[in-house]
Amino acid sequence: MRVGIEAINLYAGVACMDVLTIFKHRELQIDRFDNLMMNKKSVGLPNEDAVTCAVNAAVKLINNMDPDEKDRIEMVITSTESGVDFGKSISTYIHDYLKLNSACRVFEVKQACFGGTAALQQAVNYVASGVSPGGKVLVIATDIARHANLNYAEPTQSIGAVAMLVSDNPQILEMDFGAIGQHSYEVMDTCRPETELETGNPDLSLLSYLDCLENCYKRYEEKVEDSDFRHTFDYLAFHTPFCGMVKGAHRKVMRSLYRTKPDVIDIDFSKRVKPSLSYCQDVGNVYSATLYFALCGIIDNADFDDEKRVGMFSYGSGCSSEFFSGVVPHSAKEKLAEMKIKDRLEQRYALNTEEYESLLKLNAEWTFGIKDRPVDIAPFKNIYEKTMAGKGLLALAGIEDYHRKYQWT
Amino acid sequence: MDKSEVFDVIRDNIEEVLPRVTREQIRMDGSLVDLGANSIDRMEVVTFSMEDLGIKVPLQSLAKVDNLAGLVDLFHKHLHESA
Repeated sequence: MRVGIEAINLYAGVACMDVLTIFKHRELQIDRFDNLMMNKKSVGLPNEDAVTCAVNAAVKLINNMDPDEKDRIEMVITSTESGVDFGKSISTYIHDYLKLNSACRVFEVKQACFGGTAALQQAVNYVASGVSPGGKVLVIATDIARHANLNYAEPTQSIGAVAMLVSDNPQILEMDFGAIGQHSYEVMDTCRPETELETGNPDLSLLSYLDCLENCYKRYEEKVEDSDFRHTFDYLAFHTPFCGMVKGAHRKVMRSLYRTKPDVIDIDFSKRVKPSLSYCQDVGNVYSATLYFALCGIIDNADFDDEKRVGMFSYGSGCSSEFFSGVVPHSAKEKLAEMKIKDRLEQRYALNTEEYESLLKLNAEWTFGIKDRPVDIAPFKNIYEKTMAGKGLLALAGIEDYHRKYQWT
Repeated sequence: MDKSEVFDVIRDNIEEVLPRVTREQIRMDGSLVDLGANSIDRMEVVTFSMEDLGIKVPLQSLAKVDNLAGLVDLFHKHLHESA
C-alpha cells in the first residue's frame, strides 16, 4: 500500500525580525553570525500560541477538502514542546476550531524537536495497518519559543507550525515504508525544565545531533539494500536548529563515511542540501516542525522534473532520532504551490528593534497556567492591524477559568 | 601514543578546520574559542580528531572540556583505556 503525506502546509507567524539586527542589538560577536547562516526569524504576537499556529497551518488544508473527505480524518496528532496544559492536549482545541468529525482520536506527543516525526510515523502506521481503509490522519507539529538563557539561541528561536494530512494517497511524500534507521539514548543537552525556560548545553547538543545522524544513517543502510548516502537521495532534509548546523552535519557525514574532499562536499551541499534551507533561513528554529519546513523548502525550491527521493533526518534533544526517506512525486510542486508559502513569508511584518523588544515583553506575560485573562490588543494594536486583522486567522481572545477562547480575525 | 602525539593529531585537525590559524598559535594552554572556532568548527576538530585516533569518547565528558590541554588529557586517557 502507498502511504505518506497527501497535503502539507506551514504557518510561520505574521511578524519577523532580522537576525543580524538582533546580533547588533544584543552586541553578540558578529563573526558568529555567518556560522548560523540565518536571515530572519519569526516572532509571535501575544495572541498567538501553539494552538493558533497549528490551526492557522491546518485550516487551508481542511478548507480544500470535500466534506466527505474531511469526515475521514480519524485522528489528530499534535506534537509540541510548547503545550498549554499537562493533561488536556492541544489537539482538542485544534479538532474543535477545525470542526472535525467527532468520530476521531485526538492526542499530543512530545519528544523535543523529534516530536513531529514521532507523530508522522504514528499516522503512517495507522494508515498502513489497514485498520480503517481510506482513513486519514491530521498531523500537526507546532511550537512557540520560550525565553532562553543562552545568548546565541535568541537569534534562531522562532514560532510556527506545519500541518500534514497523512493518507493512502501520498501526493506530497510517499514514505519508503520501513526504510528507517533509529538512534536514541538519554542525554541532557537542551530542554525545557521549567514552564517558561529553554536551556541546556548547545555544544553537547551539537555533538549528540551528529552522533545520531551517523548512527541513524548506518542503521538505515543496514536495512535498505544498496543504499548509499551520496547517491540514494536526490535531496536531503535535516532538522535545522540553524542552517549552519545542517551544513556542518552534511560535511561531517560525507567526510567520515566516504572521506570526501571539501570541494566535492561543497558542490554536493549546494545541489542536494541547500534547497532545504530556503525557508528555514528566513524563519528560524520551529522545533518539532522544523524538519518539515525543510521538506517544504525542497519541494518549492528544488527541481522536480521527475519524482525525487528525499533523505530525512529528525533529531530531538534528550534524545530520539531517525533517518528515513520518501519519494516526492512530480505533482507535489504544483500542489504545494497552492499554499503560497513564499509569498506569505515575504508578507510578514518586519519588526524594528523597539517593536521586537515590546513584543518579547508582552509575550512573556502569557506564562503557563494563567486562569483568567482577556487579550488586550491595545499595546500591539498597530502591529495587529497590519498583520492579523481581517485575515481570517485564528487568534487567542482570552482565558476564562483556564479554558482558552479563540476567535477568527 | 603519548600526549604530545595526541596534541599533534588535534593540531592537524585545527589547521584543516581553521586555515587562518598558524601551527605556532595552537598552544596546549589555549582553547578552540581563543583560536576563533565557532560551534561547528569546535565539533569538527573534536570529531575529526577522535576519528583519526580511532576512539569514541562519551559526549557528556567532551562537553565538559574547555581547553586543549583538557582535550588532550581526555583523548589520551581513552586511548590508554581502550588499548
